[in-house]
Amino acid sequence: MGLLRYTLYRFVQAIPVLFGITIITFALANLAPGDPVQIMLQGQEVDEDLIQTMEERYGLDEPVHERYISYMTGVLQGDLGQSFHYNQPVSDLIMSRLGPTLLLVLSAYAFAIVTSIPLGILAAKRRNEPADHVSRIVALLGVSTPSFWIGIMLIIIFAVQLGWFPSTGLVYPWWSPEAYGYTGWPGPLEQLPVVGAMFSQYTLGGWPEHVFQIVRHLLLPMIALGTLQMATLMRIERTQMIESLQGEYVKLARAYGVSERTILRKHAFRTAQLPIITIIGLNLSTALGGAVLVEYVFNINGMGRLFIDAIHNLDYQLIMGVTLIFGTIFIIGVIITDISYAYVDPRVTYGGDD
Amino acid sequence: MRGNNKGATRRRVLVTGVSAGALALAGCIGGNGDDDDDGGIIDPDEYDYERDEPDDEDAAMDSTMVYTQELERDDDFDPVVSNDAYSMQVAELLYDSLFEFDYEYELQPKVAVDFPDVERDDTRFIYEIHDGIEFHNGDELTADDVAHSFLAPVEEETPNATSYDMIEDIEVIDDTQLQVDLEYPYGPWEMFNQGVNIVPEDARTDDVDAFNTDPIGSGPFVWSDYQMGEYVELERNDDYWDDPLPYLAEIRFEDNVDDSSRVGEILAGDTDAIGDVPNADWDEIDGEDDINAHVAESPSVAYIFFNCNDGAGTANADVRRGIAHAFSATDYVETYLNNAAAPVVTPTSPITNELWDFPLDEWEDAYPDYDPDLAQELLDENAPDDWNPTFMAPDDERATLAERVAQRLDEIGYDMEVQTMAFDQMLDQTIYSEGDPDDYELYISGWTGGPDPDQYLYSNFHESQEEINQGHHYEGSDDFHDNIIEARETGDQAEREELYTDVIGEIIEEVPALPIFTEHNSMATGEHIKDMHVHPQMQYNPHVVSGDGNVWVDDD
Repeated sequence: MGLLRYTLYRFVQAIPVLFGITIITFALANLAPGDPVQIMLQGQEVDEDLIQTMEERYGLDEPVHERYISYMTGVLQGDLGQSFHYNQPVSDLIMSRLGPTLLLVLSAYAFAIVTSIPLGILAAKRRNEPADHVSRIVALLGVSTPSFWIGIMLIIIFAVQLGWFPSTGLVYPWWSPEAYGYTGWPGPLEQLPVVGAMFSQYTLGGWPEHVFQIVRHLLLPMIALGTLQMATLMRIERTQMIESLQGEYVKLARAYGVSERTILRKHAFRTAQLPIITIIGLNLSTALGGAVLVEYVFNINGMGRLFIDAIHNLDYQLIMGVTLIFGTIFIIGVIITDISYAYVDPRVTYGGDD
Repeated sequence: MRGNNKGATRRRVLVTGVSAGALALAGCIGGNGDDDDDGGIIDPDEYDYERDEPDDEDAAMDSTMVYTQELERDDDFDPVVSNDAYSMQVAELLYDSLFEFDYEYELQPKVAVDFPDVERDDTRFIYEIHDGIEFHNGDELTADDVAHSFLAPVEEETPNATSYDMIEDIEVIDDTQLQVDLEYPYGPWEMFNQGVNIVPEDARTDDVDAFNTDPIGSGPFVWSDYQMGEYVELERNDDYWDDPLPYLAEIRFEDNVDDSSRVGEILAGDTDAIGDVPNADWDEIDGEDDINAHVAESPSVAYIFFNCNDGAGTANADVRRGIAHAFSATDYVETYLNNAAAPVVTPTSPITNELWDFPLDEWEDAYPDYDPDLAQELLDENAPDDWNPTFMAPDDERATLAERVAQRLDEIGYDMEVQTMAFDQMLDQTIYSEGDPDDYELYISGWTGGPDPDQYLYSNFHESQEEINQGHHYEGSDDFHDNIIEARETGDQAEREELYTDVIGEIIEEVPALPIFTEHNSMATGEHIKDMHVHPQMQYNPHVVSGDGNVWVDDD
């Protein structure tokens, strides 16, 4: 089976999974106590007629199974429905919130991968030396500390006390600098940690400033969300590298006089990455879950906040839409993980005869 | 320039050791229940800042400000549709209203030239509006627009329909005059409902959905930029018809729903102002030299409601009184909400009471004070055998009140089960239920009303609102519910006052609900933000331009 066919096969396999997600989510949302219309009208002087009118308007007067059927009919036509609470198409809401969440999650992964792999290799190379012990402590702290707490600490130290980074929010690459121009950042170079005062006479402005602010705003939430991934990956990398470096083929390479650098890069490193890829794919759900809390702490308007609001307001259509998107992202992540195996490990095939 | 009393008294209180911490300790070990001792509870009058005028008006006219709201906006900026306070905080700067609330919470003419002529037994109101007011698109604001603003919520069946469904007919006399006829005399009309935001009929009806994302009013600010769920930017309306013209050239609204994160923003200087300073962070904010803390009374009341259905122990008024005497609301506020709230004794808020000539001294005396001996006596005599009531509370700071009541009852030998849950879930199991005593005998909920007692009493106590806005099922005396309706459907304010005096008196005496506290409106602003004053009407905040204040930024 070729790569394309395998990918299509996996996506077809995902359809019943997504279908199952819709049934379970729809049932759970509708079983939850509360009435979305009453929630919408909280604080208003209400009469029965108004409640009835609104129930009819949102189709809430129909039986649950009929609502599910009409919802799924819409989904199959590409319509995720209308949010009760926001009075907006669910697809518009998701499109406006998906970007920040993906930016946060992907940057956290980038941070985790870029830091964990070198540190894991270093710990393996310096096994049972001080560097290894330090990495073990860092990993233990990273795994056991909640991301939101790390976020709060980062805000207190680097935003409130030192003033080096902004305490909240993201600057989006897909928005023009004018969208932020209103706040009138003082010469951004002045905001550089430690050495900023030396650059007080310089300003960037326009796109350079925009890029600078994107990075500046992203740094703290990225570290808060990426620390857990970094710690997990670092320990796995270390373990796998130690195992690889003790392999028969490495011993043979050493006997042939291959340099240690080449052994590390060509022989040990590549085979050690398979578990890393697995963990990256499977940890996508953990990262999305962590993003919900990090978004709250850093006041980022992403999918996590949207989902929490949807649950609070019993916004059935929005709950369904966000769940479907999260489910789809996770499934895509798993499929990409599976496909990546073949690139790293030549022994892996996509099954069948080509 | 800071107000004369700013913080001084508060700090003296802390120095003398009557601090929230000390009271918290007292509360935990039992408290003294002395309602006369309100040490540590904030006094909003101490945060009443003086006016602050700029030396350089031209520089002030370049002011820009970022305001961080405490909850997410629904982004409903059309006042015909919106019942979201945070969207309305934006909208109040875009639209003018026929009448607007002053800082005493009384309506004053705005677009209206004066108060209306009232005819036909308080059912006909003839309004004259200012000539020559223009909407932001250049259209003239006429009586037709005012009529549309009144009628559209009913015609379009929006959540605001009940505010205007008593209107029988509106006749537009000419461009500057209209006659509003009500089906019956409606008591709150003059104090509240006639303060309608005025929308441009033609621009709005042209495309209602588009109007919400590009709203047009006649107010001091015009719509500038918007990203759904992210921010709203408004610019000064340089052609504004009324005085004063705002100093602020631009104001940007963002939101941050996480309390600690929002406080972090103002501490880090990442925003100019935040709404709602959490009780626990008040001292830190107030102690910062470069931040000003603001607080004002609001028309909110939090109540403990008692299930009065047959079969509930709390159906017996003496049992309700027993519970009310078992704990001290003042102690509770001192312990948990000393910077954010004040104890109350009436089902209407203090700010509402100030507008009416109610017998407050009499009611204060009648309010059940902390008396554990009397509580035990009342419960021993009247509580059912094996009485084990359930108290439902939302899983926020109000849960601590339920725990406090349960603790006090435990001290006098009675078990009470406290169930905390998400607020919406709690409403579903109490207010929207039939009131099964096995499910609950007490629950706690809050209500934000207004200047008129009807805004509290009808929704929270009239029998028509059972299972819609209330879950206590109180039958009341023969006249109780009739009085609420009679007061609602008469325009004679003296008669209304008399009727409300009876209704409120009965509530305090019979305790279908026990008023506990009123929560204040609070705000924190950077020291560079000048002439900010917090308004009792939450939707008016940030109140950046009025006859009583004009916010500007001091960059020096």
